[in-house]
Amino acid sequence: MARFHELTVTDVHKTIRDAVVVTLKPANGAAQDFDFIQGQYLTFRRDFDGEELRRSYSICAGKDEGILQVGIKRVEGGAFSTWANEELKVGDTLEAMPPMGSFHTELNPQAEKQYLGFAGGSGITPVLSILKTTLAREPKSNFTLVYANKGVNTIMFREELEDLKNLYMGRLNVIHVLETDAQEIDLFTGLVTEAKCAELFRHWIDIGNVDTAFICGPEPMMLGIAKALRDHGLDDALIKFELFASAQPGRLKRKAASRDAASSANQATASITLDGATQSVTMPKDMSILDAALQNAMDAPYACKAGVCSTCRCRVLEGEVEMVANHALEDYEVEKGYVLSCQSFPVTDRVVVDYDQ
Amino acid sequence: MAEDMSIERYLEAGGILSNPANVPPRYRAELMKLMATFVDSELAGAAGFADIINAAPGLKERIAAARIVLEKTDHAERVLKVMGEFGADTARYASHHPWTARLPRDADIGTTRSEHDMRLAVFNYPLEGWSDAVVMNLLMGRAVGVQLAELAMVSYQPLAEAFRAIAPREARHAELAEEGLAQLVAEPAGRDALRASVDYWWPRVAASFGAADAAKFAALKAMGLRRTTGEELRTRWAAEARAVLKPLGLTAG
Repeated sequence: MARFHELTVTDVHKTIRDAVVVTLKPANGAAQDFDFIQGQYLTFRRDFDGEELRRSYSICAGKDEGILQVGIKRVEGGAFSTWANEELKVGDTLEAMPPMGSFHTELNPQAEKQYLGFAGGSGITPVLSILKTTLAREPKSNFTLVYANKGVNTIMFREELEDLKNLYMGRLNVIHVLETDAQEIDLFTGLVTEAKCAELFRHWIDIGNVDTAFICGPEPMMLGIAKALRDHGLDDALIKFELFASAQPGRLKRKAASRDAASSANQATASITLDGATQSVTMPKDMSILDAALQNAMDAPYACKAGVCSTCRCRVLEGEVEMVANHALEDYEVEKGYVLSCQSFPVTDRVVVDYDQ
Repeated sequence: MAEDMSIERYLEAGGILSNPANVPPRYRAELMKLMATFVDSELAGAAGFADIINAAPGLKERIAAARIVLEKTDHAERVLKVMGEFGADTARYASHHPWTARLPRDADIGTTRSEHDMRLAVFNYPLEGWSDAVVMNLLMGRAVGVQLAELAMVSYQPLAEAFRAIAPREARHAELAEEGLAQLVAEPAGRDALRASVDYWWPRVAASFGAADAAKFAALKAMGLRRTTGEELRTRWAAEARAVLKPLGLTAG
């Protein structure tokens, strides 16, 4: 299982009003663990009022810059991103897991490829890492970026992209599409939809020559672009996606403790929710929650039945269970009430569990 | 920008997910089941085939069998790595179960899985010698080809990519079996045994496409984890497998 390492903040600067670029240096000899691939992300954890939050942010640095850098855009009501934008400062320590993700393709210095990237708002971060690395490591390849934003003021890394265009003269093409600000060419105003893409592909971008397309942005934008790419003949295997949903799971409420029932006999009642339906079952306390669900014809998920794979994860909302083995869930998940149902036996006379949470 | 789309609607519309950070709980569970089924089947398949290496008639055949064992184990590892990103203990997973365990040859378990692992039912039956293993590997290899074409389109991109990388090598395993079978049918003495093996494995491989469950299929389809029903896949496999057997003078089903 991946482990968290400490990283020291060596620089924090604003790229636009609502987003910071944070430079990090692995502490305690963990540098090797953070040797990332372009387009990967880091998962951070931090305690907010006694509850651990985890958030993933893409690395925006290129492989050859020799730094580890992420971009964090403030999300309305987002505890982590607000904290990073308002309070994080040089010298602070962050905890993150080693880089993960497969939003990249293999690079080859001999290749002469045409790459096409689509980024929506803060979706630029992994695409920036990819385009910087690609332009540096594949001297014969070109990159076209279609970059969607609300207006000129909300374009992250605008100047950096201009500098890159100058540095890689003729090899980087950036098309800014702005939702609200009018531009000289009408086509570049509005949302990047399927129809907008179709127009772009007619006049500006030759899909027939594209070797790989990268898309990172909000869900509707990704769907529209992917559909347009497929309709214009790009194979699924050549389209790379990265989605960080605008709604990463928010703060979870603590499980309601009901420790009233002094346990009596060996029997317990379990209320089990799966796929929106709830069944109440009576079960012996030496039976696992999973087996109780299966015996009552519920199609509860499981695989290894040995506490190893975590397929059978569910959440305890009421009552208490004893989890006899756990090789898969982490402490913060357990604190939130998640258990491996194949390893969990009722302790209280009544338990309420949910597979849908 | 309109950013108010739920993950469920995104998936229904054909959306692709790329990391564990935002998969919904039920999606996570079905994805883990799908991966565990593949990993367990590969591990059980490789374990069963490992015993067959010693039964291979020549060096070339030994190499082919050893290669199949090696690559199926490697394929299990690739998909297990994706499970690991969801928290599965990958080191413990490989050894938590005796993958060589088999039921008696005449056990009748239909499509039910064993109590303790997720391998497809077909991998619970024992192989009986070299020619039986070649027949099983051919029929199942063609089934894996049909399944992987479907699985390479799953909505979880890291897994879809793993399957796309695995598919050509699995296809090669079926080709090796086809080459092996072509040699075996040339010996008139062994034909009856080959026919018996085809009759034995055909219904068991056919059952690996699962029983029809329309509600379950609809749910998986909405999540982008399935596109084609098991029945359609089974029909596709049966046609392909018959076409391979026919020139070898074998018929089935």
